[in-house]
Amino acid sequence: MTLRLNRRNFVLGSTTLLAAPFIPKLARASNSIVAAAFPGTWEDAFRSIVAPIAAQSGVDVTIAPALAQDQVGRMMASAGSPPYDALLVSPGQTAMLEEAGLIEEIDPSRLENWDLLIESAKTPFGPHVTVEVNGIAYNPETVPTPSGYLDLFENPAFEGRAAWIGFGSNTATMAWVELAKLLGGGADNMQPVFDLLAEKIDWIGAIANSGNAQQTMYQQGEIDVFMASTGNVARLRSLGLPCNFAHPQSGSPAIPVAIHMTKGASNPDAVYAYMDAAISTAAQSQLAEPPTGYVPTNSEVPFTDLIREFVTPETLANAVYPDWAAINRNRAEWTAEFDRVVAL
Amino acid sequence: MLRQGGTAFILPMMVMMVLCFLAPLGVLAVASITGPDGQVSLANYRQFLDDSFAVGVLWNTIFLGLKVVAAVTLLGVPIALMYWHAGPRWRTLILIATLLPMLTSNVVRTFAWIVILGRNGPISQSMVELGLSPRPFSLLFTETGLIMALTQIELPLLVLPIIAVLATADRRLVDAAEMLGAARWRCFLTVLLPMMTPAIFAGWVLVFASATTSFVTHSVIGGARLIYMPQFVYREVGILFQWPMAAAISFLLLVSTGAVMIALTLLARHRRLAACA
Repeated sequence: MTLRLNRRNFVLGSTTLLAAPFIPKLARASNSIVAAAFPGTWEDAFRSIVAPIAAQSGVDVTIAPALAQDQVGRMMASAGSPPYDALLVSPGQTAMLEEAGLIEEIDPSRLENWDLLIESAKTPFGPHVTVEVNGIAYNPETVPTPSGYLDLFENPAFEGRAAWIGFGSNTATMAWVELAKLLGGGADNMQPVFDLLAEKIDWIGAIANSGNAQQTMYQQGEIDVFMASTGNVARLRSLGLPCNFAHPQSGSPAIPVAIHMTKGASNPDAVYAYMDAAISTAAQSQLAEPPTGYVPTNSEVPFTDLIREFVTPETLANAVYPDWAAINRNRAEWTAEFDRVVAL
Repeated sequence: MLRQGGTAFILPMMVMMVLCFLAPLGVLAVASITGPDGQVSLANYRQFLDDSFAVGVLWNTIFLGLKVVAAVTLLGVPIALMYWHAGPRWRTLILIATLLPMLTSNVVRTFAWIVILGRNGPISQSMVELGLSPRPFSLLFTETGLIMALTQIELPLLVLPIIAVLATADRRLVDAAEMLGAARWRCFLTVLLPMMTPAIFAGWVLVFASATTSFVTHSVIGGARLIYMPQFVYREVGILFQWPMAAAISFLLLVSTGAVMIALTLLARHRRLAACA
């Protein structure tokens, strides 16, 4: 067989080759959206629980894993043509997105399940899908129950056993702010924390780059303590690992997690359907079960046994809601200083 | 038939290069010299170069690349020599063993190293069993651990070019040297090494470029206390949202690692070295 390659065939072939990466996009159903979710447990849960419920409304949801700060970064990088139709972020990022005009106010009348939400979960830019309660994850077989963040730097039982991360993570940032308060500082004065870090840097077991890296290290027995949400602990338990959750004496930092519609979303109707799916009784009932154990914001969904083990109405009432405006104001400076203090 | 076949065939590649490499590079260059007021300014470069911590990170990144190059050479050249001396069956085995890691994702290989370097991993356990360490230890988040992981990950980039050269090398040259009384080391130094040298240089360029920019491995194995340029760039982009600064840092990384790679390439093209090949 001989291949006759003339100019016309060559140009046709080359054009087809160059267009190949765009063909799946063109073929994608018009009722499809891309929704960001935090990597790991969140991504799995939204892909396996929320997306199928949205699909019942004829909406095809592609879950794209991205940390909250990464979502903001990517949105800022391509504001005219947003890479996501829906975002999953916390109040700190919501404030940044709102200020930059990157998210849309929603019309609650478009959400069938809106009235089922608890009042605090209703915001102009979208519904809260859960309230994440943060604290300290620890291995009950190797270390005692930590009483709080400062205990991790004072009790010899935790020397070399606790892992921390920098200010890129919301969970870690809330823990650092609480620690700063205990040391006489706060969201506008992180210096006491940096002084403590400089003094006790060798006391710390590890400083990882992300929450997921910490969980991997915990699985491998490299560390026994890390800053975590109740969801992280539930996930590790579902993998058969001994893991308990300790509420710091100073109060457990709590952080709502919201879905937002991006400005310029390709298909607003589909985003509403996705939001509605995420706050539906069906989705939140499943999300409240192991391995996720997310605290429901839908008033029809009861706290499961797993959630009750970590969170009671009292804990939620005593939870600490950080000042995200102050955190956003200082986060860049803290991040730069943190690197300088911990760098080898 | 194509009258000017050569030009037509390289056209798609050239278009791809312009669209996917030169154009983004241009955007990066412009962004790096854009000040807060939109005016052209070198402030980002000045800010980076005036910061001793940032300059330290740049040097650490270059030194890391050089250390990995050295480690890969120490491990890779003997493997290539084993290939040279092995029979057909062993040659296939060595080739497969070298290629196999490349068929696995870099991320998967990096995560496998978490287990290997950990407190309960085989390295730590073996050292304790052999009585070389009194207690289990972790190489995670240490430079030694990072160099070990990068060495294994980058090894094929050096071994494959050398194997490619040795596979076509004339064995009679070594036979002749031996017949003329050259000992093994002399054979290696005067016959095999000169043949391998251009491939070693090519491998060094690849290993250095890959080791200095391997964000995932730096991040997962090195942790947050070992800071290298890719993490520095990520921090500026993903956490601080300082894109002009990130562009300037990226450009400095490109220039500094590029300078080392150009130096290695020029060395490989050196008249005396080229004549040996």
